[in-house]
Parts: sequence; C-alpha cells; structure tokens
Amino acid sequence: MSALADRLRHLRAQSGLSVPAAQTAPPKPTLSADVLRLIQGRSRLQRAEARASSMDRFVPGDEIASGLFLTEAVVDWLPPPPVIDTAFARWSEPVDSGRLMHFDTETTGLAGGTGTRAFMIGAAHWEADGRFRMRQLTITTMAAETAMLQAFAGWLRGDTVLVSYNGKCYDAPLLATRYRLARLPNPLTGLGHLDLLHPVRRRWKSVWENCRLATAERQILGVVRDDDLPGSEAPAAWLTYLRGGPATNLRRVAHHNAQDLRSLAGVLLHVSRLGRP
Amino acid sequence: MYCRQRTQAAPPLNALPDRYQASDDLVLRGPSDGRALAQRLSKRYAERITGAFVVPGREGSFATLPADLPSALAQALRSRGIDALYSHQAEAWTATQRGDQVAIVTPTASGKSLCYTLPVISAVMQQGAKALYLFPTKALAQDQVAELLELNKAGELGVKAFTFDGDTPGDARQAIRLRGDIVVSNPDMLHQAILPHHTKWAQFFENLRYVVIDEVHTYRGVFGSHVANVIRRLKRVCAFYGVTPQFILCSATIGNPREHAEALIEHRVTAITQSGAPSGDKHVLLWNPPVVNTDLGLRASARSQTNRIARLAIKAGMKTLVFAQSRTMVEVLTKYLKDVFDHDPRKPPRIRAYRGGYLPTERRAAERAMRAGSIDGIVSTSALELGVDIGSLDVVVLNGYPGSMAATWQRFGRAGRRQQPALGVLVASSDPLDQYLVRHPEFFEGSPPEHARIAADQPLILLDHIRCAAFELPFVGDEVFGPGAATPWLEVLGEEGVLHREGDRWEWIADSYPANAVSLRSVAEGNFVVVDRTGGKQTIIAEADYTAAPVTLYEGAIHMIQSVPYQVERLDWEGRKAFVTRTHVDYYTDAIDYTKLKVLDCFGSSSAGRGDAHHGEVHVVRRVAGYKKIRYYTHENIGYGPVNLPDQELHTTAVWWQLAQRELEQAFDGRQQALDGFLGAAYALHIVATVAVMAESRDLQKSVGSADGAWFVASDIAGRGQLRGMDGQPTALAPDAPFTPTVYLYDAFPGGVGLSAPLFERREDLVRLAITLVERCDCAAGCPACVGPILAADEEATHTPKALALRVLGLLVAL
Repeated sequence: MSALADRLRHLRAQSGLSVPAAQTAPPKPTLSADVLRLIQGRSRLQRAEARASSMDRFVPGDEIASGLFLTEAVVDWLPPPPVIDTAFARWSEPVDSGRLMHFDTETTGLAGGTGTRAFMIGAAHWEADGRFRMRQLTITTMAAETAMLQAFAGWLRGDTVLVSYNGKCYDAPLLATRYRLARLPNPLTGLGHLDLLHPVRRRWKSVWENCRLATAERQILGVVRDDDLPGSEAPAAWLTYLRGGPATNLRRVAHHNAQDLRSLAGVLLHVSRLGRP
Repeated sequence: MYCRQRTQAAPPLNALPDRYQASDDLVLRGPSDGRALAQRLSKRYAERITGAFVVPGREGSFATLPADLPSALAQALRSRGIDALYSHQAEAWTATQRGDQVAIVTPTASGKSLCYTLPVISAVMQQGAKALYLFPTKALAQDQVAELLELNKAGELGVKAFTFDGDTPGDARQAIRLRGDIVVSNPDMLHQAILPHHTKWAQFFENLRYVVIDEVHTYRGVFGSHVANVIRRLKRVCAFYGVTPQFILCSATIGNPREHAEALIEHRVTAITQSGAPSGDKHVLLWNPPVVNTDLGLRASARSQTNRIARLAIKAGMKTLVFAQSRTMVEVLTKYLKDVFDHDPRKPPRIRAYRGGYLPTERRAAERAMRAGSIDGIVSTSALELGVDIGSLDVVVLNGYPGSMAATWQRFGRAGRRQQPALGVLVASSDPLDQYLVRHPEFFEGSPPEHARIAADQPLILLDHIRCAAFELPFVGDEVFGPGAATPWLEVLGEEGVLHREGDRWEWIADSYPANAVSLRSVAEGNFVVVDRTGGKQTIIAEADYTAAPVTLYEGAIHMIQSVPYQVERLDWEGRKAFVTRTHVDYYTDAIDYTKLKVLDCFGSSSAGRGDAHHGEVHVVRRVAGYKKIRYYTHENIGYGPVNLPDQELHTTAVWWQLAQRELEQAFDGRQQALDGFLGAAYALHIVATVAVMAESRDLQKSVGSADGAWFVASDIAGRGQLRGMDGQPTALAPDAPFTPTVYLYDAFPGGVGLSAPLFERREDLVRLAITLVERCDCAAGCPACVGPILAADEEATHTPKALALRVLGLLVAL
C-alpha cells in the first residue's frame, strides 16, 4: 500500500505537479524527502494518539448526542430595546429584539465547495428578561454533524431574523451545503438576515484599517481580546483534536466564538442606533 | 446555408510587386471551384501528386419529423426551414425515446446537433427536465447556445440555455444554476466548478435528464482518460441526487465509436453511424514535395508547397484554411501568406492565424472575421479541427499529416459548402510518417480510421479524481470508483492527511480545493506564461504547457505570436514564466533533444524471432541539449545555442525488442553496424506503431539504448548511431563489455497512458509492417521515410543503413 503511495508520488513529481523537495534536500540514498516526510507525519500522528490518554482532551459541555457537545451560558450583556431599528440595513420595518438569532460558525477552512464543513456553531439571542443566552454546538466526530445541524435547526423559528458578520456570503451558504449533503431541509431558507459586515463597511471602510469583526468591536465596544486564537488557526485546532491531540486550542476556538457572538450583538445595537447611513 | 459574398482577389493597389504573379497566373486562368483547382493543380504539378481521388457526394436520406415531437418544437423547426430530418437525426430520436445511451458518428456539418437538440428540448418542454452539454472548447459551447437561442426564438419555446464557463460572471452563475434548462459547458468547468459545488446545483441535478457530450473523439489519450473520470464523478453525484441521466455522445469519424463511447461513460451505447446528410464531391490530392537532392532523397519543404497551394487557392478567390502541425509553423506560414496578401497595413488583413496560446478575445475576433467572410486565408493548428463555426470554406491544405486518418478527414471536412465541389490537399512533410502515407495512397483511401483509446484507470489520473470525488462526497465502505473499490487509494490520501477515516467513512478534511490542482488537458499544474517585457512593461501574451516549455521557451528561443517574433530572454522554470522581448531577426529556432532510458520492471516477455520482446515499466530522462537557428526562406542552419534546463524524468511503460550479443556478432561485422541497424529499425518501428495505436506521434516516443541503461544511442549530425554514456557525453564501450542494444517505444506520459500494452499485443505485426515499410521504400540506401535521414557517403557503403535496419528487423521477425 505504501508502495502505491510511493509510486504515485514519484509519478506526480515527474508530471510537474509538485516541485519535488528531493531536488533541494541533501541526497538520501534510500528514501525521497517526500516519503520521509510522510513517515514522520505518520509517526507524529501515532505519537499523538499514544499520548492522548494522558493529555488534556476535555471538551466542555453536555454530550447531547454521540460526539455532539452543547455549552450554554446566560449572561447580562447590553440589554436591547424592545424593537431594533433596521433602517441601517435599509429594511422598512423594525424587528422585535426577541426574534433575533446571532450566529457564527467555525469551519475546517476557507477553500469552499463541498469539502469544507462547520465543526462549531455558536448562536445567541435575548431572552424575554433581556438577558443574553449563548449556546454553542461542537462536534468531536464527523458523524455527529447531522445531529448538530438538527439541533441548530431546532433553535430557529419561522420568524427568526439572523444576525451575522459576513454570514450571507460565508456561513449561510456553507450551512446550506451541509444541510443538503445531510439530506436535511435548510432551516435558514427564507429567514430574514441582518449581515452586519455590509453596514459596517459602508460606514467605516475608509476610516478603519480594516472591517474585521475584531476591529469593529475594538472601535465600537472598546473590547480588546486577550489570548485570542486567530480565526485562521481554528481548522488546525479542531483537526488536532480529531486526530487524537489535546483539546486546548479547541477550547480557545469556543472562547473566540463566544466573544464573536457578544460582539455581534454589540455591533448590531450600535449600528441600529446610528440609523440610516 | 452560408451564402457569402465571394471576395475576388483584388489586384494590389500599392506598389509592392507580387513576385509570384506571372507563374501563378498561368495556373489560374478562368473561374475556379474545388474540382477545377484540383484539375489544374494535377495538370501543372503531376509529378508531385502521388494520389488523387474523389470522395463522391451523397444524396440526402430523409425522414419526416417524428409524430411524437412537441408541436411547438415541430413548428419552430418548420419556421427555420426544417421540414424533414436526415435519417441519422430520426434514428437518434427513436433511440433516445427508447431510453438508450446513444453515440452518433457523422461527418462535419451533417446536422448532428439536431440529434440531441430534439430529445433535449422535448424533455425540457414536456417534463421540465434539465440537460448538461459538454463541448471541448468554449467557442463550440458559445456556438451551440447561439443555435439553441435561435430555435427557441423561432418557436417561442421558453427554453433557457446558457453557457457556463470560466468567462461567466459571478452574478450570472446563481441565475444559471437555478433557471438554466440547458447548461452548456466543458469538461474542465464540470470538473473544477460544478462538481465541487454540486450542492449549489441541487435543483439542476435533481432534474438532470440528459448529458450531451460532443466531439468525443477529442477525449482520447490523457485528456480522454481524465474526462472518463470526470464522468465517473458526475455519475456519482447524480446518484446522490437520485437521477441516472441518459447520455448522448457525438463523434467525428473514428474506427471504434461505440467502444470509445462505452469506455467514456462505462455503459452500453447504441451507435448511429450512417449520415443522411447530402454532401458535395470532395477532391483530395496527396502531394509530395519535389525531390531536390536525388542522392539523399531530400525533398523541398512541405512549408514551401503548402504556401504555394494556399496562395493559388486564395488568388482563385477560394476561402482557404491551412492546418499546420505546430504553433511555430502556423506563424511561419502566416508570415509567408501575409507577405503576399497583407503588405498594405492600411487595409484590413486578409490572412489570419488561429491557434491555442492566443488570448480568448483574439480568438473570438478571428472567428467573427472568418464567419463574416472578410478573411480569405486562415492558418491554424488543430484548434480549428473541431466544429468552431467559422462559416464554410472551399479549400483545406494540410501542411503535414495530422497524425491520424481520423484527424485528416476531420480537417478535410472543413471544406465544402453544400453541393459544391471542395478540395483537400495533404502536403507530405519530410516526416517519415508523412512519407509512408503519401506513398501508399491505397492505404489512405482504403484504411479504416484509427481507434481512439483511453486509459481511465491510469494510476496518476485515477488518484487525482478519487481525491476530487472524496471532496465532493465522502466515500463509504468499499465504494467502487472505476476499476474497483477505492479503498487503497483512500488510504494513500489518508496518509497524505487530506482524508480522515471515521468508521467506514472517508471524509475530506483538508483546507484545499483539489480540483484546482488537477488540469484535464495537461499533465502539469501551472502552464508557463509568456511575459512580454518590451518597453519596460510586463504583459502576458501567451501560454505554453509544461511539456512544451522545454522545447519552445528555452533562453534564446524565438517565440512567434501572430508571426511577430519574440526572443526568450529568461526562463523562470520554478515560477513557470518566460520573459520575452520583441525582436527583429530573420531566423527561427528549433530545439535539439535526446533521451535515455532504463528498465525498472518487466510485465511480460516473449520470443521475437531470434531475439525477444518485452513490455514493462521504464525510467526515461529527456534533455534539451541546445537549439538550432534556421533562417527564413532558405532554411539554412545559421548557428547553435546551448540550453541549460533540468532533465525531464518520467516513469512510464514501454515495449522493447532485444537481440542477444552472439546473434549480433554473427550478423554484423562490428558494433557500429549493429547500432546503425538498431537506429534504423527503431525509426521504422516508431512509424508503424504510431499509426497502429492512433497515438499523437509526440505521445509515443522511441529510443535505442543498452538493456541495463548504461548507455544509449543518439544520432550524430551525420545520422550515424553514436554511443553516449549516462552523462549524455559521447563514449566508447570496452571491447569485452556486454553489448545488448535495445529498441524502445515508450509512452510519453508519467505512468503511461495505455499505449504499450496494445503495442506488445501487436509486436509481431509491428515488426512485419516495419519490414514492409523499409523494403518497399523507393530509396536506395535509406531515407527519412524509412530508416531516417542518411549521408551521401552511405549511398556507396557496402552496408547501407537500410540494409542494416532490415537485418535487425529480420532477426526480430517471428519465425
């Protein structure tokens, strides 16, 4: 089997597909650099698995289905007005704050297409008493994805209005693909969606250095994140855990995601107060 | 169908003299059509014409419009002047309505698109069905949509057809996915944009009823093997959406249309091979350039002859298309014709070049100009072999044999307005294959067209597509992909870290988009781009593929674009860029390359006469050593330059023949004789093998070397076998060193693409055919048509290269 891998690797190099590292590496008489790297990679994985028992594999929350963890927190966070002015998004009607569902996904990458998935979905809404209820779904197996999608669908109602940051272009289409692949109806279809990236961009594009959510929350809410895991490291954090590694960074992803949810609400309240651009 | 104003050859208004005028006028008295020109050329150049025949026109065979056609569609057809179908169109209707997978094989311009348009539009109108059309090029797709829209408009059918290709803007894509009834695309887009995003196309796939694949004869070799795997992925995605679409395939004439269609879609098909379309007579001339050096059997160049024929035809007011074999030759011939017809820069050009490597806008402009009839002469590579709509032509000139009978007829098919006699001329180059064919017109007239082959299970290609398939949908259990369970391949991908195994599922886990790294058309990722640095700016002006780069973009090469010469100043091999500047030189360049080869594994062996034949896996190293500078018009060699590029390494499959040392010692006076014999035998075997497997001659290569790879043989400047060592330098063998020269024919694709197995099966035939080729050749001592070019001195030699090659072949022929 490894013979097949080895043979294929050689053929690929000859076809110009990858510039073989062997050309620059010092000559190894028996094994090419590619093969060595492969072997090292594999033994690293095996070591990681072997260490797993003694390492920190703690994923917070209740395992509500096999491989699916739910964390929940109700916090005091920027009590909303009863209705949110949506003129900033050029909607004609205001929206009851109780209908809003803030959401943000953490995914295995940015490549797009059918091969990218969400391993974490965070969602938050205001309860009737004005408190902010945050829930996060995390999968620790691939097979738990369907249960996660079903659980998230259960949080949405026909009159839910979604709140996101770039969710129209990123999170929502990605989830649409995942629901389709899981042969489930897409619960996001037809829901109102306030994507805050666009109003933020319209207003501050030429003012701030960029319009990322972290910038918006710093400028608007004065939030400075401490020990934040950059979003770009989220895929590796989950993959490490999936392959038997520690959960340390996966918990940092959850922390990052929770902060994103809080910031969404904060940015929403701020831009809605500013009214029509 | 296409009535166009004939542009009479206007006398040049400016003062530049046409130095051919007087001699050309002799040939061109009186009005002209394909028959008249054929007759005149035959009379004037009788000694150059080795074969002349007429493919008689055909009466049409018609059928009434099917009764079960939707009435609005029948009405639309009638309003466009179609009251009856050709018999093959009616047959296709019946077969598709039966639910068959159908392959239609008819000549150019026989109305084959109606074969699929009727069932598809009917299904769209009656069942809200969707259809996917695949064409090998964007231009063909655009033609097809234009045709569909006209029909749709004529009958107000409400059918929505769109092209979907790399030029489709992002905001239009969503609408096409949701609302397109017929989506017209190409295999590359299906591979890179549609399948990896199939969930966005869910409604389309759920209703997908027909998949139409046109020009399937182009899907052979490496490209075809890729396309077969894209079809596997398409079927896999269709299965996810619960549909099994019906396939309708169309092909130009090839020897095995049914088998080829079945290999592509891996399903039984009904083949329709009788065209009912009427056609005019087609006059065909086989033209061998005159001998200019009798001793050496040297002939005038094909280029000079092609130029002459094209010039005469254009002067006779006939729309003329010239096919050249290489991009360089397109540029050279364009320049020659422009020198005669386009010397006044104030007037719109009458001559245009057309080839791959131009930017799309330039190609579209050329197509439009041709359709509008404002162009009188076009010089093209195979790019125009397919059904790109450029209107009708009167004369087609092939500068050199295109490498297959099928392609020859396909190209000749470009000439011919209805009922009017058309002319096709094949001008033989000095290439041995050309000389072989042009001297055997009976072979040309009588032989069935070649077979198209693919090797869909080629390991490298299969791995690429299993990778892409795993991205599209997870593999579960022992799911079969292609030849068997995908499991071992999935394990390789798992080790690579792109797949994650959980239970019995293999899921994509990497943050990458694998289809982007797999090109269907070339082996390599990242074509080379040609960057023009003239005047300090940097502009991309062309592209070249990975395999072509070492022989066309070396530093010092003259690279021509629309016959404008650019010189390559720097080649950034790693960055896949060639930097060029505009230059003014009177020469072009030609690469000198050679090959050495080593056997890694033997799959099978048998005796071959007194020697033996084998096939198996080999390691090949190709090196471009330098280049020649060749002056325009005189074609004299005016200098050399060195090339310093990495060796091209290749693991591939080969078939080879060997003779034991003691046999050689008995048969030859010395080792040099034996080497010359092997070189000649390799030359002849390569010719017949190329014809036998419908290989493009660049896909099948030959080499002579030692069985153990210790040395190989290259022709020196005199055409004599010269022993070279592992380092490529000339060397000599110790008298007691083992000596087992070997003839190799190898597949020029990493891993092989299935050429060597059929060659091994036909090994006895090949040796016999090679003997016939050499024996029947008119030359005395050897020539480029049999054993390769020879020196004048060899004419007097006691052992001519021809005799030596025959001696080797004689030892290898089955007893």
